[in-house]
Amino acid sequence: MCETCGCGNKDEVKIHDPLHTHHHDDAHVHVHEHDHDHDHDHEQDRGHHHSHDHPHTHDHSHQKVVDLNLDILAGNNMTAAMNRRFFEGRRVLCLNMVSSPGSGKTTILEKTINHLAGSKKLVVIEGDQQTMLDADRIEKAGAQALQINTGSGCHLDAQMIDSALKKLDPEANSFLFIENVGNLVCPAMFDLGEFKRVLVISVTEGEDKPLKYPLMFESSHLCIINKSDLLPHVDFRMDEFIKNAALVNPHLEFITLSAKTGEGMDLWYEWILSQAEIFLSH
Amino acid sequence: MHEFSLAGEVIKLAQYEAEKNKARSVSEITIEVGNFSGVEAQAFEGALGILSEGSILENASLNIVRIKGRGICHACDKEFEMTQRMDTCPECHSFPSEIKGGNEFRVVSLLIEQD
Repeated sequence: MCETCGCGNKDEVKIHDPLHTHHHDDAHVHVHEHDHDHDHDHEQDRGHHHSHDHPHTHDHSHQKVVDLNLDILAGNNMTAAMNRRFFEGRRVLCLNMVSSPGSGKTTILEKTINHLAGSKKLVVIEGDQQTMLDADRIEKAGAQALQINTGSGCHLDAQMIDSALKKLDPEANSFLFIENVGNLVCPAMFDLGEFKRVLVISVTEGEDKPLKYPLMFESSHLCIINKSDLLPHVDFRMDEFIKNAALVNPHLEFITLSAKTGEGMDLWYEWILSQAEIFLSH
Repeated sequence: MHEFSLAGEVIKLAQYEAEKNKARSVSEITIEVGNFSGVEAQAFEGALGILSEGSILENASLNIVRIKGRGICHACDKEFEMTQRMDTCPECHSFPSEIKGGNEFRVVSLLIEQD
């Protein structure tokens, strides 16, 4: 178990679906000391006996170097590519929503569902470490929802989306929103097969976020700046934030809105529809 | 961070390649980690140490090769080494027009023992 952030292994991942629960069968985590630091002081005590406890076996075997040059994320990327093909084949617009915890992703989605549910079939995959709370909110708002609990895991990966898609079986021409685990670090590395990645930031966060978490800003297409209703009460410098984000990713688009008051939400709805147009014209 | 799931991927990959090459054991694994890859090398090493127990990598030593990204400034026609993602051109102090490398995260090789 990672004590820094609580990230764990996949056997804690649970996909909540009325029909059954899904478990991965990865190994359990055991603490194992693995130290190869040879920092001995050879000058002082040449005669002493070093006792290394490496259980290396060198008896009568042949050594061989196997050259691989394999991308470690290749497995995830391959599954993401298959998810992408599925979305293209079924014409499902998939948006991956990423952010820090508490930026307002779920509220934005609730409002979006209220607005679009009349004209579009909407499906949401919710990723959280624990609870069904977000999926319940989404279903109340009127969309089909599936909750993935990652246990102590800090991100969704393409395999989890693949499993979720088998259960959700989204209709052709629907919109699928993936609400990723609130975390600006880990989800950046994992392609899920989405058409576009939407990063949600709120004005209660610092304008230096793009410089602190460049990978997330670099890998996103749209940046929503949420909670604009709080701007008069906080020290958030919008110009500085946009300048920093544009340094990391010159192609990043921005929409400032307040999911609470509704200000700017129209721009977001228009953006979604414009993406659907681009996606479907492929 | 996500280093645990990455370590799990590395073990799966090593297991597959070791079986394919009829390895009795793996004594060394070499991994390239770019400095903008989003992988914390120390956390990854810790995670691999914990998860590798009972796996083909249990007794393998880990050799991490760190790769630095290189920035290219079109204005100065200069290529420079970058230690951080936000490093600027040493001549004109603007952000690089192009970045080469630094995102690597791959298994380079395995040193295996065969009968």
